[in-house]
Amino acid sequence: MLFNTRTERYFVWVFFPLALLMPLFLEQNTFYVSKLTTVMIFAIFVMSLDYLVGRCGLITLGHAMFYGLGGYIFVMIAPEYEAVNFWVYTFYICAIAAVVALVIGFLVLRTSGIYMIMITLAFAQMTYYYFSDSLDFGGNDGVFIYVKPDTSIFGLSLFDLDNPTHFYYLCLLSLFNTLFFFRLVIRSRFGRVIDSIQENPGRTTALGYNVFIFRLIAYTLASALGAYAGYLFTLQYGFVNPSMLAWTTSGSALVMSILGGIGTIYGAILGAVVYEGLHFSLEHLTEHWLLFMGALIILMVILFKNGIAGYLEKLLERRA
Amino acid sequence: MNNNPILETEGLCKYWGGLKALDDISLRFHDRELHGIVGPNGAGKSTLLNLLCGHYKPTSGKIVHKGEPIDAIKPYAFARRGIGRSFQKTNIYPSATCLENCCVAVQRRMGGSFDFLRSRHRQQVLEEIASDALNKVGLSARRDQIAAHISYGEQRQLEIAMVLATSPCVLLLDEPMAGMGHEESQLIIELLKQLKQEYCIVLVEHDMDAVFELSDKLTVMVDGQHLTTGTVDQVRDDPRVREAYLGQGDEVY
Repeated sequence: MLFNTRTERYFVWVFFPLALLMPLFLEQNTFYVSKLTTVMIFAIFVMSLDYLVGRCGLITLGHAMFYGLGGYIFVMIAPEYEAVNFWVYTFYICAIAAVVALVIGFLVLRTSGIYMIMITLAFAQMTYYYFSDSLDFGGNDGVFIYVKPDTSIFGLSLFDLDNPTHFYYLCLLSLFNTLFFFRLVIRSRFGRVIDSIQENPGRTTALGYNVFIFRLIAYTLASALGAYAGYLFTLQYGFVNPSMLAWTTSGSALVMSILGGIGTIYGAILGAVVYEGLHFSLEHLTEHWLLFMGALIILMVILFKNGIAGYLEKLLERRA
Repeated sequence: MNNNPILETEGLCKYWGGLKALDDISLRFHDRELHGIVGPNGAGKSTLLNLLCGHYKPTSGKIVHKGEPIDAIKPYAFARRGIGRSFQKTNIYPSATCLENCCVAVQRRMGGSFDFLRSRHRQQVLEEIASDALNKVGLSARRDQIAAHISYGEQRQLEIAMVLATSPCVLLLDEPMAGMGHEESQLIIELLKQLKQEYCIVLVEHDMDAVFELSDKLTVMVDGQHLTTGTVDQVRDDPRVREAYLGQGDEVY
């Protein structure tokens, strides 16, 4: 079975129908709909990071680089005053991000552990400062996108990207597909090698696998999907700016992934929803929301050793 | 017995800075022979094994496998040529089942490691070969148990099963009986007796009785140097070997 724990099946059956109906409850309240859309986009990003950190054992602090690049690549390759096709550009952006990831991964994956964290961070900061200092890309202000792509396939247009509800459904679909895709990859024979590498890289080499190549492919996959999330974010707000590339973006994604339950993939959704939910509710209560937020997150990490997903699994799985 | 060695070293050296861990070792390993390697602690036995499996690169000298020099190839390529090794410290995937442990080993040569979409459980041939490897070492009863939950001795057996699952031609075994009780050791000895009829085995082991019982050829190493190689009887009667093990001179303890 694709979703191999009971908890995950429950989660998928509860979360996605609920999310499908959500716009009806919110009665076209566009503020909440677009807030939820942002959470879902970020969940895609967290999921791709979770795959790297939790499933491949590659701890990176530079994943935001690909999030930002998703937006910047769009600005670079799309014509300014002309609507392009969404699906075609999704392919372009993922492909270009994958090539970038291939090159950077080639350098980064020679290191491991703390050194890898440092080098990924260094690459991300390089891109951050490049885009925040560059006049071609509007420096710190970023770039506006005047025309949103249209989403027609074979003349059939399913989503109108200017309509927040439509955009919400596009992101929900993307989120489900990302979860589905990662589950598929984890279950595959490629996933078997990745599992082995995470558990015991030395032994996997001794069995004749080229560990580096497998890591590079996993890194490329996750980075391309991270870029896809950044592309969606850019389309939602109609601009890119360097803060998408900042290390704090990587940092909060990492916190969400840990909060949700590292390596569980669907935990990324839980992490993103809870984190953003806390953020949103505390922000309205007090000016010093970060203080309470930090305290709450520390508390949750102490209480739920394996994240929220880990806690749910403890409740729902049959004891062996 | 054929005279072409399956694996051969020529003047193999490994220095750690100024320390000569291994100095000018030339050995020949033949098919269907169990070649024991013994020596006191620090003699360089493990270093030799690590060089033979590609884990370390030699400082100088050559390793020849089936007539081709292989000391310049990558570590994972050694396993692909059929040089499989087991480790002194148990080195398995503890969270996976015994079968899954062997499946990883089998999948390397069955292919499909770059198949992202098809399920890993959709391949019966692969699981059959993995089961065979478990049968060979006598672990078929533990097939579906988590590797971390089986006994230490069984983990050592699993270790060997994983090497067998790669379908090797040379087995490099690093102290397969380390830390085992007498009965468990006996099990491994019986296993190795069977295996040496099919494979070339290089065995590093501290249990002298086991080595004497099993070896077709025996090499003694001292301080990174090759002392002597011969049949068990030749080695046992060699005065230099006694000296190496028991110390020089006539000190009385």
